[in-house]
Amino acid sequence: MQSSSTRSRILTVTALGFCALFGAMVVGLGVGPLSMSWSHIIGDVASHLGLGHSTLDSLQSTVLWQLRAPRLVLGLLAGAMLAVAGGTYQGVFRNPLADPYLLGVAAGAGLGATVAIVQIGDGLSTPAWTPWLAFAGALIAVSLTWAVGGRGTSASLVLAGVAISSLLTSAQTFVQQSSHSSIARVYIWLLGSLGGASWHSVWMTLPYVIVCIIICVAAAGALDVMSVGDVESRSLGLPVERVRLVVVAAASLGTAAVVSSVGLIGFVGIIVPHFVRLLVGSSYRHILPLSALIGATFLVLTDTVARTVVSPSELPLGVITALIGAPMFVLLLRARRESLT
Amino acid sequence: MSAVDVRHVSVDIGDAQLVRDVTLNFAAGQWHTIVGPNGAGKTTLVETIAGVRQPTRGAVEVSGMSIHAASERLRAQTVAFVPQHPIVPAGMKVRDYVGLGRTAYRSLLRGPSTRDHEIVSEVLNRLDIERFADRDVATLSGGERQRMVLARALAQHTMVVVLDEPITGLDIRHQVDLLEVLRREVEECGLTVIATLHDLTLAAQFADRLVLLADGQVRAEGTPHDVLRTVELADCYGVALQVVNVGGSDVVVPVTAIRQGNVPTFS
Repeated sequence: MQSSSTRSRILTVTALGFCALFGAMVVGLGVGPLSMSWSHIIGDVASHLGLGHSTLDSLQSTVLWQLRAPRLVLGLLAGAMLAVAGGTYQGVFRNPLADPYLLGVAAGAGLGATVAIVQIGDGLSTPAWTPWLAFAGALIAVSLTWAVGGRGTSASLVLAGVAISSLLTSAQTFVQQSSHSSIARVYIWLLGSLGGASWHSVWMTLPYVIVCIIICVAAAGALDVMSVGDVESRSLGLPVERVRLVVVAAASLGTAAVVSSVGLIGFVGIIVPHFVRLLVGSSYRHILPLSALIGATFLVLTDTVARTVVSPSELPLGVITALIGAPMFVLLLRARRESLT
Repeated sequence: MSAVDVRHVSVDIGDAQLVRDVTLNFAAGQWHTIVGPNGAGKTTLVETIAGVRQPTRGAVEVSGMSIHAASERLRAQTVAFVPQHPIVPAGMKVRDYVGLGRTAYRSLLRGPSTRDHEIVSEVLNRLDIERFADRDVATLSGGERQRMVLARALAQHTMVVVLDEPITGLDIRHQVDLLEVLRREVEECGLTVIATLHDLTLAAQFADRLVLLADGQVRAEGTPHDVLRTVELADCYGVALQVVNVGGSDVVVPVTAIRQGNVPTFS
């Protein structure tokens, strides 16, 4: 039920979003200490599809396919999932400050990862078990939150999330303090990075992200109904409790999968859906798919910045997402206000 | 024929008994208004009738169906509810807000159908709000907003509409406008309306039947003419009331100290 101007704005934003995504992918694959021209990258990708021959040497091909490509794909998955999960939480809780970590995913994953690094690791490297324990920690945290507040209103669930997050964060701090040698490694994990990306981590994350994004986007119409509150939604015929359970489970599971692979990347989940809302209006049927598109683009671009500005070192990805995203958001907000006055 | 049967309904919240053993039959195709002082249990009763609140005891049947045993979808296809303070989500277009009334008829995985679009357009036209259908709901005046909320309820295509204080906060013109729209729906479409109102004069002018509620109990029930002349009315409100006939309509006037010539002076 859109006017033609709304429809054309959505189409324009979608087209620009796909162009930006393509540009971000080319930049993400091409930029780095080992330079590769865009035409060579596109030629190499085409050669893998049976079209022509690659002009990259073996070192360039290895860097492209074993380092940058999995990093790019994992960035796309993480950005899309975090943005969709954030938008979903904002809809289901009718809370503009909701982010994917609202129900304790971050605190649970943080505790799981800290236990892996401090208790299982040798203090020199991040153990292979880290993603699994982070994933388990995130799911246990959300399950606890649901057990405490799931039978009440949205507000009681959010408050339960705050309580469980506080509890698990204090437990994580306690575990972290027990091993000074591992503190730096724990911090690096907590700040989030795509530096450890591999095809293995991509395949571990991909099924969760695809399924969870599909569920959240499919529930977007229900989130539009829920914007009038639980009581009115119910009176309009929406099975509120069931919808809330399904979308919270999907958003939390997808976030847990992402966090276990890339650590805690802040900002994307809260700002990208708001950014999209400013562009296309308040319907979640537009906000969620476009958040996936723009979240993926945004994270790939910020990761490219994070790994190149102080090369060969890397900046924490969460720091870059905030540094770039916040001014962009403020500028858009101001422009939008001025256009309305 | 009875559209809504309320049988021995009680609603307790904690130790407070908000509705006490209420039994009422609301005839189909008529306008029923529940009146009573603040705290009488009006809102609790209409929320229970609409199915958004579970009774502690008793049952509500709408067209022979137990409203609290029905699924959300079936309930929304049977009774539409307009709360006293509807949540109006800023950023949403009026047309989309009215379209929420079609939730019970469509798959959540699909967008609105052509039929949904047609029904929404028809309701917007009927309530004369098509002209601001593409405006943000946050930009509407109080009167426009209440029409929009009523349009959402009518888009549900139910035979029963329950409204809790639908004219709260409106000036007299917009109050009358809204009540006339509702009256037309009763006359032309055979809608059954159950509404709470504070204004006894407007209640008397627009409703076919009045229910006087106090302390969670039914104190009187009948035509407006009969209910307004019961001795219970003044007793329930705790103030002397006089019913006068103006141009064939009952007007309820409080007999205050000022009207008795006992005007307080301030020095």
